[in-house]
Amino acid sequence: MDVIVQILASGLTMGAMYAISTIGLALVYGSLNMLNMSHGALLALGGYICYFAMSHLGLHPVLGLIAAMLVCGLVGLGIYYVAAQPMLRSANFETQIFIATIGIGAIIENVILRLFGPQPTAQPLNLPGALVIGTVHIPNQNLLILGVALGLMAALAYLLQRTRLGRAIRATAQNREAAQLMGVRVGVVYAQVLALSGGLAAISGVMVSSLSSLLPNMGGDPMLKAFIICVVAGLGNVYGAVAAAIVLGLLEAFAQYMLGVRYSFAILLLLVIAVLIWRPYGLFGRRQVVRL
Amino acid sequence: MSALLTLQNVTAGYGSQTVLREISLTIAEGGLTAIIGPNGHGKTTLLRAISGLLPLRAGSISLGGLNLTGLRPDEIVAAGIIHVPQGDMLFPEMTVIENLLMGAYLPEAAAESAMRLEQVFALLPKLKERRNQVASTLSGGERRMVGIGRGLMGGGRLLMLDEPSLGLAPIVIDQIYDVIGELAAAGQSILVVEENAARVADKASLITLLDNGHLVWTGQGAELMARPEILETYLGA
Repeated sequence: MDVIVQILASGLTMGAMYAISTIGLALVYGSLNMLNMSHGALLALGGYICYFAMSHLGLHPVLGLIAAMLVCGLVGLGIYYVAAQPMLRSANFETQIFIATIGIGAIIENVILRLFGPQPTAQPLNLPGALVIGTVHIPNQNLLILGVALGLMAALAYLLQRTRLGRAIRATAQNREAAQLMGVRVGVVYAQVLALSGGLAAISGVMVSSLSSLLPNMGGDPMLKAFIICVVAGLGNVYGAVAAAIVLGLLEAFAQYMLGVRYSFAILLLLVIAVLIWRPYGLFGRRQVVRL
Repeated sequence: MSALLTLQNVTAGYGSQTVLREISLTIAEGGLTAIIGPNGHGKTTLLRAISGLLPLRAGSISLGGLNLTGLRPDEIVAAGIIHVPQGDMLFPEMTVIENLLMGAYLPEAAAESAMRLEQVFALLPKLKERRNQVASTLSGGERRMVGIGRGLMGGGRLLMLDEPSLGLAPIVIDQIYDVIGELAAAGQSILVVEENAARVADKASLITLLDNGHLVWTGQGAELMARPEILETYLGA
């Protein structure tokens, strides 16, 4: 019984963490049809900015997190105006922006490498101690991650469902031309979505690095998993992505316990293959005609 | 009646293809104007050029003296031209009411959305029944009504409808044109694009024929129906 609670706790933490890095990716794909391959680099950047703000500038952890969100949000905005906007009218936008953001990600990672060096660094934003119930041991850091993730998801659901910006984002994602005909300025919506996605990447990066450590290429693994989750859920589906992230986090925790850490990722991929054979457009995806 | 929409030598197209060639047209305030023409001769392109989805190659467009040439689609909506596109283009995952409220997205329209929603429900009672249904689950006729209702929510000076009869059963087409006739009678300026001249001949105050990117004939509905040789030449009817 205790083992199950322990697995559930670590699975939920992992799932929540995946969910946050996935939401940003799903939002951007959903509204722009853009796979942002620099998302992983933004995760790393967010982690390092928080570290820099706390360790070198002596800022409060909350301010460190806010600084990370601001910087990554601005970089997201920059990606829109420097890369996405000039390519938007091209017929090959999806391919072009895919390759361009790989380049942008490489630039960001190398700037981090140059500024902070290649050595692993500890993330100072860390809650010591643990919640102990009987023999179950749940680190406070995991609880913090879970709490932040839940809060963020609630805030995002509110933003998408109840605010004017959220309605504009959903309308643009569902039919870009129709949104324009309603008076939505889609260029501005795109810029806002990329800034928002950057801010979410920062939070995700701070959390991921607090469980392991800071490395310039630390975003690769979470981004790969976020991408897998997006595909399983159906590309661009934000709520589906959250559900899929939590399920995959739990599954990974169970696989790690039952079969060992080395098999967990392989099982994850096996599951993705199975899902895609069964439903090629993802679990919650819409069946749609692929543009050729 | 004063001029509402004025097009002067509008030329537009896609890629290397020119679809519209030097179109000049003046639409008066109030009443129904119809653009008739066969498929693939530029009717939809003309509406897309007016609403700013397609940039002009040459020429100018103005609404009540306000120059709209080169403005973004959202600025043209704000100026008062509402384009109900071909095939409705609803937001498939939103409910009927969410779709309607998107029509009043801009601040000026949003301020009057409660009043307009009442008007739309009075005109299209079916939508009130279906208000919480997701758009992708509606029938073709219901979707068309949501499309038109969403357009009305914007409270524009000119409502442009792109083939409101497309893909509907004859009885539903009659219902849709009854609604369009009611709107025109109430003083709403409407520009409708239609393939079948007979559907609009008795309602339109002005009919113009679009053939291969040119406006070839402009006159009144009764006049057109009385001249079968024109219909035969351009529409093969």
